[in-house]
Amino acid sequence: MSSLPPFWLLVEQHGDELMRYARRLTGEDAEDVLQEALLRALRSYPKLRNGNHLRAWLFRVTTTVAWDHSARRRRRPEVLTDNLPVKTIDPHHGDDEFGSLIGQLPPGARTALTLRYVEDLTYESMGTRLGCSPEAARQRVSTAVRSLRRRLV
Amino acid sequence: MKLEPRFLEKVANRAVKEGIADIVYSEFDTPLGRLLVAQSDKGVCLIVYPGENQHALLGRLSASLSPRIVLARDALAKTQSVINSYLEGRTSSLDIPVDLSLVTSEFGRRVLEKVSLVARGRVTSYGLLAQECGHPGAARAAGTALGRNPVPIVVPCHRVLPSTGIVGGYGGGSWRKQFLLELEGALPKS
Repeated sequence: MSSLPPFWLLVEQHGDELMRYARRLTGEDAEDVLQEALLRALRSYPKLRNGNHLRAWLFRVTTTVAWDHSARRRRRPEVLTDNLPVKTIDPHHGDDEFGSLIGQLPPGARTALTLRYVEDLTYESMGTRLGCSPEAARQRVSTAVRSLRRRLV
Repeated sequence: MKLEPRFLEKVANRAVKEGIADIVYSEFDTPLGRLLVAQSDKGVCLIVYPGENQHALLGRLSASLSPRIVLARDALAKTQSVINSYLEGRTSSLDIPVDLSLVTSEFGRRVLEKVSLVARGRVTSYGLLAQECGHPGAARAAGTALGRNPVPIVVPCHRVLPSTGIVGGYGGGSWRKQFLLELEGALPKS
């Protein structure tokens, strides 16, 4: 016997905030990322041991899929063509200055900075969303800030 | 900002295609009002009339069958067409497989199986039904089992009348029972 609510009720309840979150992490690829995240969550849903913290769990799954997605994009080889060069637009962060600053960081660092400085989450809330302790969340932010500093110098 | 229906439809269709939606459901308009219909791979497992607590009933499905429940209109299109053809009087058979997983008691299951054998246009009584289930005198228990029928219309609990001959109570409201009995010719059109 499961104490989990019907999956689609979760989608209806949290889908819009998950989409906003996916958009912050992956820009125009947010729909694809959230689609994969929801399907991944649905696949493993019955295996959850209880119905507590389902919102945080959905955010964690979305974070993981966004990281995987960003990692795949970074691995994708550059295609050389004879076309005239066109202006490059950062697909992840549009015109947002902070977004373009962190756009070149690894996905984990980018997520840590987004959660801390864009979403303004506490380390405790970050920990819940990322599935780690508040101290680990603090370390991730601190590492990401160091990494960003190195790139700016 | 709500998620776009187009996006939700895409997710639902992929879930169905990849076989990870154990139960699909949809809502659609019928002559009996807007129904919520859910089905598993075995058949229709839940029909909810307007005014009933949809979330609570879907929650029961989640607890009894599987929580992998997805709103997928396309997957219910055939069932929707069969139910509407029947309720609009365009066909006289309601040939839809049924999944009675929500019925946990053996007696309840037997009552619903027996009432499924009552032909269109015919009616029976609670007492007779109880007797056919091997429990003469359990008319009230048979009534309770019919009241818990998770798949009204398809499992025709509306074909059971009190011995007084009146239409009697019905989960979806007695006007719906009257409508179904008139549609099937068991009662003259009012």
